Amino acid sequence: MAENYEKAIKTKYIGKPLTLHDEKPAWVVDSPRAMSHIHTYGLLTPFFQGLTQGKLMATKCTNPKCPHPSVWLPPRADCPDCYERMKWVKVPSQGTIYTFTLVDYAGIGVEMKTPYWQIDVAIKGVDTIFKGYLESGKPEIGMKVKAKFRTENPTHTILDVCWVPA
Amino acid sequence: MITFGKGNLRIPKWSKRVFMVAGGCTPFRKYYPEYKLEELVMMAYKMMLEENNLKLSPLEIKDSINFAVYGEFADHFQDQLLCEAKIHDYLGLDPLYNVGIKTGGATGGASVLMGAQAIASGYANCCLVAGWERMDEVDTRTGNFYISTAACKDFETRMGRIYSSYYAPMANRFAWAYDLNDSVRAKIAIKNRHYATMNPNAQQPGDHTEEEVLKSRMSAYPLRFLECCAMTAGAASVLLCDEEMAYKLSDHPVEVFIAGGTHTLRVADRRPMDIPLLPNEKPGMYKEFLAKNPRWPGFESFLAARFAAYLTYRMAGIQEPIEELDLVELHDAFTISDVQTYGDIGLRPYGQEVDYVTSGDAYFGGKCPSNLSGGLLGTMHAVGATGIWQSAECLWQVQNKYDQFHGDAKWWKRAGKKKPKNWTSLQVKDAKQALWVSHAGVGSHVTVGILRKAW
Repeated sequence: MAENYEKAIKTKYIGKPLTLHDEKPAWVVDSPRAMSHIHTYGLLTPFFQGLTQGKLMATKCTNPKCPHPSVWLPPRADCPDCYERMKWVKVPSQGTIYTFTLVDYAGIGVEMKTPYWQIDVAIKGVDTIFKGYLESGKPEIGMKVKAKFRTENPTHTILDVCWVPA
Repeated sequence: MITFGKGNLRIPKWSKRVFMVAGGCTPFRKYYPEYKLEELVMMAYKMMLEENNLKLSPLEIKDSINFAVYGEFADHFQDQLLCEAKIHDYLGLDPLYNVGIKTGGATGGASVLMGAQAIASGYANCCLVAGWERMDEVDTRTGNFYISTAACKDFETRMGRIYSSYYAPMANRFAWAYDLNDSVRAKIAIKNRHYATMNPNAQQPGDHTEEEVLKSRMSAYPLRFLECCAMTAGAASVLLCDEEMAYKLSDHPVEVFIAGGTHTLRVADRRPMDIPLLPNEKPGMYKEFLAKNPRWPGFESFLAARFAAYLTYRMAGIQEPIEELDLVELHDAFTISDVQTYGDIGLRPYGQEVDYVTSGDAYFGGKCPSNLSGGLLGTMHAVGATGIWQSAECLWQVQNKYDQFHGDAKWWKRAGKKKPKNWTSLQVKDAKQALWVSHAGVGSHVTVGILRKAW
């Protein structure tokens, strides 16, 4: 309020004191952080919506003058080769394993129970390779897999799709 | 882009020659409670000013500096925006202009590139390049997660939340395509960690057996803990000059050539393309190779590194890398990233990378030894400092000062260590030319730099 600018004020500390993590060889304080980011999927929203509807949506450059018209999965809205806006296309929910790893020691916040198989999937008609995880089975390069979608209780993340042996 | 226009392949040309005269660094550690970040950078900066046999006093050099470039990987780790302003003030360099550079793991190389551009353009004739990272404010697994946000947060980060899980698929594909086995990867870890035992500043030196490497804890199959670099706190700096200033400051300046390349953040987005050829490669030589592995660069190789080498070799007039380079410092954040790069920079043709190690060329005493500094596996990866520190290690080799900076007991004392009884010099005899690779992401940004004896 305006009148506050004319008053003398006694200021009270309302923070939470930091604890000392270490005292030697120098003071080291524990400085906690807790925060949330509001993150938009922007023009890629149809892809994430598509997962909750059981389909893999990619983007395709249909510009006849594009030097390298490609199908992108992960999708991107604008073609990097001709700068035209691309079109959404549904791509097959089957593919073959291009490469893989077993994630044994993961960073904090990992949402799958470790260890789990992370796989990169080549899909016919798609120019890129698509990363995901294998929900069951043991991967090999060249193995056929099919997509499994989390249509119930979606996570609203890329984890709404995973793969199982075909 | 997967095809190039003529302008895209222009070879960079400095307007003025660029030289490096001095380097400095801190000891590297996992945890550094004794010092604040700016105090660590001061330590590296003062070492650079005081210990490189320069012909002007530290304060005279301070009076000569007219631009500064600072490398820092992630504000997350420092928990401080505009560190550059704090550091620059702490070094007493206001109001000279400074810029902060951020290109992931290639931040150090990119910082040297930006400093070199300032010299080459005439904007500056004496430029400080310094870099740092303090990865010790968070626990290791939180640090793993922070680093994994340098994968695509929409499509990749959630798949592992640790960077080894983005390199491991490349390792498995490389092994499938080019017959790489666990033993060769282990040899690289053993070699670099052993060389780190001769480096007073090394964070994780050690003499390991192949069995120890391959039985160390799995991070992401097939990469074990001993095949992965550490998280580090520390800083490094180098001084760049134009020709006149370089010889005023030093009797032993080295000339700098450096260029960069980039590629998609997600490996998966890398569409197949023709291989840009290095000066020693002949058109058509990869015909059979491409028939078997039609997706180059795929998950096996790095276009960014190849493109950087394509430019730098032509800038520096290098015709046969393995013959003309006396040593290299490569970005061995993981054993596999080291192997992948051998083909990219032409130490071997693509598909024959493994031979660089098994032939002995990669070892001290070999044709073109790599990572005598201990590399990222053995010595450090304080990310924003890494590419700068690598260049300092190359500088000291070319200046014939390996022993001065690694053998003098005072450096071991500074690091709180005792110089090992079995310490041996890793000075490459008559080294005239060294190359270093600074590398980000899964190959998103790469610089290739060459330092050449100039006296």
